[in-house]
Amino acid sequence: MPKFTLNDQEIEAKPGQTIIQAAIDHGISIPHYCYHPDLPIDGNCRMCLVEVEKMPKLTPACTTLASEGMIARSNNDRVKEAVRGVLEFLLINHPVDCPVCDQAGECRLQDYYMVYGLHTSEIPLDMKVRKRKVVDLGEMVVLDQERCILCSRCVRFFDHVTGTGEMQFFGRGDHNSIGTFEDRPLTNPYSGNVVDICPVGALTSRDFRFKARVWFLHSTDSICVGCSTGCSTRVDHRDGTIFRMIARRNPEVNKSWMCDEGRLSFHRLQQWERIARPMRKSVDGMQAPITWEEAFISVDSNLKEIASKHGRESVLGFASASATNEALFLFNRYMSEKIGATHFEFRLDGEDRTVTEKEDEILRRLDKNPNTTGAIKLGFANEHLGGIRGAIEAARSGKLKAAVIIYFKPLIARAGDDEKEALIADLVNALEYSVVIAPYKANWQKAASVLLPVAAWTEEEGTYTNYQGRVQFAGQAMLAEGDAMPAWEVFAGLLYASGESRLWLSFDEVFQSMKESVTIFHNITLEQARREGALATE
Amino acid sequence: MKRPAITINVSDIAERETSFAKEMFAPLAGMGLTFTRMMQNVSGKIRPTISYPEERRSYSERYRGAHILTAREDGSPRCVACYMCATACPADCIYIEPGEHPDPHIEKYPTRFEIDMLRCVFCGFCVDACPEEAIIMSRETEICAFSRDETIWGIERLMRRPELAEFGLGYRPNAELVDSRLAFVPKEKLIMSMPNSITLKEKAEMIPHVTFDPRK
Repeated sequence: MPKFTLNDQEIEAKPGQTIIQAAIDHGISIPHYCYHPDLPIDGNCRMCLVEVEKMPKLTPACTTLASEGMIARSNNDRVKEAVRGVLEFLLINHPVDCPVCDQAGECRLQDYYMVYGLHTSEIPLDMKVRKRKVVDLGEMVVLDQERCILCSRCVRFFDHVTGTGEMQFFGRGDHNSIGTFEDRPLTNPYSGNVVDICPVGALTSRDFRFKARVWFLHSTDSICVGCSTGCSTRVDHRDGTIFRMIARRNPEVNKSWMCDEGRLSFHRLQQWERIARPMRKSVDGMQAPITWEEAFISVDSNLKEIASKHGRESVLGFASASATNEALFLFNRYMSEKIGATHFEFRLDGEDRTVTEKEDEILRRLDKNPNTTGAIKLGFANEHLGGIRGAIEAARSGKLKAAVIIYFKPLIARAGDDEKEALIADLVNALEYSVVIAPYKANWQKAASVLLPVAAWTEEEGTYTNYQGRVQFAGQAMLAEGDAMPAWEVFAGLLYASGESRLWLSFDEVFQSMKESVTIFHNITLEQARREGALATE
Repeated sequence: MKRPAITINVSDIAERETSFAKEMFAPLAGMGLTFTRMMQNVSGKIRPTISYPEERRSYSERYRGAHILTAREDGSPRCVACYMCATACPADCIYIEPGEHPDPHIEKYPTRFEIDMLRCVFCGFCVDACPEEAIIMSRETEICAFSRDETIWGIERLMRRPELAEFGLGYRPNAELVDSRLAFVPKEKLIMSMPNSITLKEKAEMIPHVTFDPRK
């Protein structure tokens, strides 16, 4: 453990750490462009220069290993003057078109200019080297060569993370610019990441382009619910609309990356029509709106009646692997304690088998549900029926009479999604009494005896368990439409209606109860789940 | 340390001197002033009222009235939809929707630019914030409409404003720096000669006080 001094502060670095890494760990910020924690070190931008005693020249903090007894300074006048000079060089040919640049507001050139620069440019606008603007690089990325500071983060990303190497430097001197060979579009499924890692406005998102200025947006930490990897993300939203989703650094799951499909998955949320209020099928076979109170009482009494008439095996709890742990926990509690059901299921296909299978070598997984592991661990994969096909057969043969079904449409489309939804429809049609809990409208829901609207991802707080068994928290960015409430609240209401003395009123209370009653969640704290997630261990 | 002495002037409020004669004659002196003013009014020597709207008062050159969107040489708006005005706006009355401009060196332009004139507080912050001199203010004060929808002015309404000939330009602090043009072509009511498009570098002479005879 080498101990060294940075800005008169004693710092203990981990072995092999460079000065900038140790500084970031201890909350000291050193300006940098090319250094990125998840990319190989390059040392080309020269912004992170620090003064090290007994070294004749300033040295870049990102390439210098922290060693025992080293005395480094990043805040004296010599360093500041050097950084100001580097910044002035970087800005020589920069077009300073911040008003039309999407990066404005989160641009590192702007940030460091306000801290270190504040110089007057010596280069008049008409002497600047003009390069190409608005270069189309496929469906995710727009390139502006003028704004580039040649930090090579994008080049290193394609070389070392995806291994495809699409981007490279072209030209020499002040005509040096980045690009792809013959402007070929980036077809890489991870190309959206270069927009995140670009410290300036050279690579901007095609999807987010001109949609909003970033200072209007509010950010909520969340996770991507597109597959069982569960990448940590940040959702940027305003007035109840999501504008973009970007990767949040989590070294345990996704480092700083996420796939393009996941990045764009929130658009599907905005496309589908929502269920506005609880509906119940009346005597004429048509659904009519009811209040939540009526819904809870009627569902509870009907399920209890069927369970007492046909036996507890005739009721099924059919969960969704896209529901939160909290919803599944209260669902299980309601069905097993109040109704006495023994049949629990969630598999539309072989999710319990595909949950850990990789779709590619970086992040994506075959199972497109975020919480399959949670559903298995919370007891929704028992072997009585064997998947939804077994449940449909049991319903057709009359063994199953009633079911409570949660269904969330997957946010990332794959072939076979419609067939899976059709299986749910078959199950609903085959049942005598069915309670469907879903956020989105679908035609087959007309056959349901009771239809309850719930909040979708980003409209509720909740935790999801990813393929590693890591419990991660996803925050609430906006309110659900209409009368929809979070799924855990629906089950809390049902529990209360059926005589439970306790009424869960907030997510935190449900999480605490889940922690206490489910052994694998004992050691997890909400703070961990909010940051990098915590492993659910036996 | 001894501080240097400072002389401070303190005004001494004197007791008001009064006397019996003053108490008696003060009302008469007041009546005298009133009578003088009345006679001046009747004889037409001074006239504190004007016959609005036939006559109008002239406003200061930096008066902050209804906004104008200035134009490029081809007549399209100078605005690049950077949202600086919307960010600075304390009344939250500016709505912008950007689009992709065919010229990559302009890159961004507003497909919608709307100002809710009923919400606007005419503070002029949008003009101060604009990096392109794309929005300036006029001396127009009459924003009346038959419905609320009409008080939300779009790009067309903000750019082409023949009535500006009557009111004139208002607050535009960067007039000397930027060569922006007005898109409107004033035709009617034009009393003083004006070029078809006024570059802001020229001093636009506007009519300070318009009077017309309804009998004509």
